[in-house]
Amino acid sequence: MANEIETKDEPTIVKEKNTDKAVEAGLARLTPQRIKSTINQVLQKETGPRFKAYVETCMHCGLCAEACLYFLSNDRDPAYSPAGKVKQTIWEMLEKKGEVSTDFLRRAVHIAQTECNVCKRCSMYCPFGIDVAYLMLMVRRICHKLEITPLYIQDTVNSHSATMNQMWVKEDEWIDTLQWQEEDAREEFENLRIPLDKMGADVMYSVIAPEPKFQAGLLYQAATIMHAAGVNWTMPSSPGWDNSNMAMFTGDNEISGRIARAFYETAARLKVKRIVMGECGHAFRSTYDVGNRWIGWAMPPFEVVHALEFYHELLTSGRITIAEKFKKTVTLHDPCNVSRGRGLHDMAREVTNMMCESFIEMTPNREHNFCCGAGGGVINCGPPYKGERMINNKVKAEQLKATGAEVLIAPCHNCHSGLEDIVHHYDLNMEVKFLGDLIYETMEKKIYKPGD
Amino acid sequence: MEENKSFDWSTDLKEVSVREWEDRFVWVEEPYVSPDGETIASIVNIEEGVFTVCENGETWDKEYDKAWNLRPLPDGKFAACVSSDEEWTLSISGNEWENWFDFIWNLQVNKDGSSIGLAVQKDMEYGMAVNDKPWDKMYDNINEMVLSNTGISAAVVQVLPMAQADIEIFKQGIFSCAVNGKPIEKKFLNIWDISFDSTDKNVAYGVRLDRVNYSIAVNDAVWDKKFQSVWKPVFLSGENSVVAPVKEGGKWVLYKDGQPFWKNQYNQIWKIAISQKSGNIAAIASDKFGKWTIAENDMVWNMTADQMISEFVYSKDGSTLVAVLKDKGFWTLAVNQKKWNLAADKVFNPCVSSDGKIVSVVIEKQGQYFLAVNNIVIPNGYDFMATPVISPDNTKILQKAVKDGVYQRLILSMDKIL
Amino acid sequence: MNAFIDFIMGPMVWVAFLIFILGLIFKMVLIIKDINARESYVYSYLTWKHSLRSIFAWMTPFLPQSTKQSPVFYSISYIFHLLLFIVPIFLMSHIVLINEAFQVSWVALDDGLADILTVIVILALVFFAIRRHMVPEVKYLTSYKDYLLLIIVALPFITGFLAYHQFFFYKAMVIAHVISGEIMLILIPFSRFSHMIVAPLTRAYMGSEFGNVRHAKDW
Ligand code: HEM
Ligand code: HEM
Ligand code: SF4
Ligand code: SF4
Ligand code: SF4
Repeated sequence: MANEIETKDEPTIVKEKNTDKAVEAGLARLTPQRIKSTINQVLQKETGPRFKAYVETCMHCGLCAEACLYFLSNDRDPAYSPAGKVKQTIWEMLEKKGEVSTDFLRRAVHIAQTECNVCKRCSMYCPFGIDVAYLMLMVRRICHKLEITPLYIQDTVNSHSATMNQMWVKEDEWIDTLQWQEEDAREEFENLRIPLDKMGADVMYSVIAPEPKFQAGLLYQAATIMHAAGVNWTMPSSPGWDNSNMAMFTGDNEISGRIARAFYETAARLKVKRIVMGECGHAFRSTYDVGNRWIGWAMPPFEVVHALEFYHELLTSGRITIAEKFKKTVTLHDPCNVSRGRGLHDMAREVTNMMCESFIEMTPNREHNFCCGAGGGVINCGPPYKGERMINNKVKAEQLKATGAEVLIAPCHNCHSGLEDIVHHYDLNMEVKFLGDLIYETMEKKIYKPGD
Repeated sequence: MEENKSFDWSTDLKEVSVREWEDRFVWVEEPYVSPDGETIASIVNIEEGVFTVCENGETWDKEYDKAWNLRPLPDGKFAACVSSDEEWTLSISGNEWENWFDFIWNLQVNKDGSSIGLAVQKDMEYGMAVNDKPWDKMYDNINEMVLSNTGISAAVVQVLPMAQADIEIFKQGIFSCAVNGKPIEKKFLNIWDISFDSTDKNVAYGVRLDRVNYSIAVNDAVWDKKFQSVWKPVFLSGENSVVAPVKEGGKWVLYKDGQPFWKNQYNQIWKIAISQKSGNIAAIASDKFGKWTIAENDMVWNMTADQMISEFVYSKDGSTLVAVLKDKGFWTLAVNQKKWNLAADKVFNPCVSSDGKIVSVVIEKQGQYFLAVNNIVIPNGYDFMATPVISPDNTKILQKAVKDGVYQRLILSMDKIL
Repeated sequence: MNAFIDFIMGPMVWVAFLIFILGLIFKMVLIIKDINARESYVYSYLTWKHSLRSIFAWMTPFLPQSTKQSPVFYSISYIFHLLLFIVPIFLMSHIVLINEAFQVSWVALDDGLADILTVIVILALVFFAIRRHMVPEVKYLTSYKDYLLLIIVALPFITGFLAYHQFFFYKAMVIAHVISGEIMLILIPFSRFSHMIVAPLTRAYMGSEFGNVRHAKDW
């Protein structure tokens, strides 16, 4: 009882709310007429019984609050609770029949794009299974149509639309980077190749654009793992190599679908059997669960295998063997998009235990993990919102600290970056690693031969 | 398929041993086979940082620091992107283009092989080059390169500079469609899917006009109507008319020259194929969420695939439409509404006889390649196979396959198969 | 006056029950029609197995993590919902009325016990109201409508209780009781009380998305 009926003063929002010039420029262009017609168009024409059920069934019981890292990190301020965010956005839009002010929209875009990771943890705490993430994405869709999406994430969507990758990576840069990593990796494995456009390979390996842009070393690592495991693999030289999808997080469903199409058409063109992707959570969600649906694929047309599942396969089948286990204490962050999003959490533990000597659980975990606070496009809204992002995930910092581990494994790009920020901000003195980093460090550098 | 006439259809078997290549070279990359099946070639590594191409056991005269993108040409030769001293060019059987670039990619060859096109980058400027002739004007960026049947090149080019994360300039439109390097005046937020008409005089492409409105442009004229989304426009055969799948009111419909064309609405109209001969229009479409089918002249096939229909082609006479599809986890073909009973892990590009009577395709099952002809899988498994060729008189099939280190060019008689 | 009493005790009872049942059926049909017309894709994901799995998991006390974290609230809510059905259905006075009309009857609760259960329901509703007022995240979501809903459920129980004990104005109390009972029944299909039928649907959908697509639990 004690922690349930706990009197607190009426919450006040003191934290500075940031905005950026794309949001402001967009708001300045809006007319009441456009606001109204856009909101009503989206809420009436683009939703259905699901939306209706979610807004009409919510009993305002507040049980979802306990689920949300924003609520928990902000001293249980109700404005950050899942239903609280719906109240400040959707409910008011409905009540005012779309006649809302630009000040309202400034707050709405801030909530939907930077105060919710669309991580769906709350759907596991709401007794009705109300999908608040879906409602927040609907708000984002409205903001997209009103052109008030935050600057940096919008730029990534622009890049997607023009280049089919997230970071304006030019077509030659992509190929050049692969060839350069291939060459470097030959220092370690003489005959190593990153086979480009190899028709009929078993596996198409795909990554997100930040890899060639900033973290080419990860391509190197992946290539060594593929090579050592003797996988018949390929990477596409054409657009369609980037499996990320920021449009899915701004409500630009049209571009999101186009990205998914380019991706799967590339796999079809190369006649591969399945697609393996690097350690990225949202890319998995995009290809496995979201982007495909807009096109009309109920389920993805190709088997898409997240890196962690693939590592599991390589390790359990003996294609990769561990030379010496990793000594430092490690803990594992479950990326929501592959744990709550795909149930790979037990595999993640098995992989970790196969490589590491001492694994410390962090709690809560598995489906019930807390999001890193970066996901769902939040980190992609960029520097203006970073300060808030740190405050907004205090619970993660506490959770990490409680493990006392030296190394934090984050098998997701977004989580990795987001957690690195948290580790620095809260001085946690942890090293953040991908599973791939650890495999690369601990594996035997020899080439698998069947029957060994 | 007239060009197939000159192929050697009388020698039953020709063999090239490729096994010893493995000993001769440090490594041998995946093989490619010439259309006539006479030559098998691979990029090979000779020593650290030294590459060349090996054709039927003979290496090219030249060696390069790097080589990739090996492709067979219609005349039986091979082309590859090669690099020496950090510069790149195209090499055709060891003969390089005169122009060298900082990077080249996207090698395209037209049907008769008279034109070879590339995307090129020099000094961080982008363009295309066809038959060793680069565009006069270069751009900040290039995407969506296409090469027409008569050798016209076109691509989406960035015509205005854009500072990092400048979404205001992007909103004004910084992309144009350039044909042979010359940009068409109009600028758009996005341009995708450039198509040529049969004369190569006109181009059509999908455009995004603003954040939410899409349309189709033909040369420099944009259709009046705006849509929620669009896919690749296609010219009808022998006409200036353009058809395109567009999304309107949440549903996909087929439009022609800016006006509704097909009556039915679909969950998805994915892409269009047109028979030059009969004028029939087919679309990979979805009528019911999660089920794919083909709509021919707005009539839905009595067949669905639950995962994907990736490709489809008309036979030359328009009588037969062949689709590559994936259903319940396996790949197969459908020919005129009828699914074959293949359950393959991979299905490669089908080969269809001019009269549509024979369809032949390479498939892969559990790591072995097989040839399938008219729904019959020939039981011999191979390590590798290239696309087969059907003889002009429909009596023979040219099979190109590798087994146990030996490349076999095999002429199969249709009688024996069927 | 008597005609009025006859009406609310007679035909109106019928009407209320008809509206309650037909209203729910009607609502269900509308939802399904709407799904078929606008969101038929949900059928690609719905499975009986995962739907039922989720519904049963959420009906099992203290299985879902959420129920473990708010045990007091959930206990009260479970009891409230159970009694909401049990008390009126197994109430002697109700059974007597039904028996008079249809000559059917079933086991009845002992009147004393029913009385206690009624008080429990009323207390549960008081608890909900206090919680609404005291817990910030709930208060934040609460408007007068939420209290109104609580009052609408509370009234039949309160008036029934008062009538049973015949504290005062017995006759008026019975009338008030019957009217409030009828109002509540009539409102169920047209208010958020319709969660009675929508809840299994949203749960089934979430359960299927999690179980079938995401291969994860949703509790
Ligand atoms: C719709 C027509 C209804 C009729 C005709 C009706 C009739 C009655 C009658 C005659 C009594 C007995 C009063 C006495 O003992 O003198 C009673 C008691 C009661 N009724 Fe109803 N009722 C109706 C609906 C409801 C509903 C919808 C509920 C609750 C959901 C309800 C809950 C109760 C309760 C809790 C008591 C008192 C039990 C006690 O304290 O022992 N009734 N009702
Ligand atoms: C069998 C059908 C029903 C199911 C499965 C169900 C389920 C739920 C659930 C899951 C909640 C949310 C929070 C909680 O656990 O209390 C809830 C709340 C509530 N339900 Fe129901 N319910 C049903 C029928 C009804 C009916 C028929 C009524 C009233 C006529 C009702 C009245 C309420 C009220 C008043 C609340 C809100 C409590 C608060 O204020 O926090 N329920 N119900
Ligand atoms: S989806 Fe995640 S971040 Fe968003 S409201 Fe729910 S729990 Fe919070
Ligand atoms: S838990 Fe569900 S019903 Fe309760 S307030 Fe949150 S969203 Fe609404
Ligand atoms: S970034 Fe990681 S933790 Fe965060 S939403 Fe994505 S998968 Fe979840």
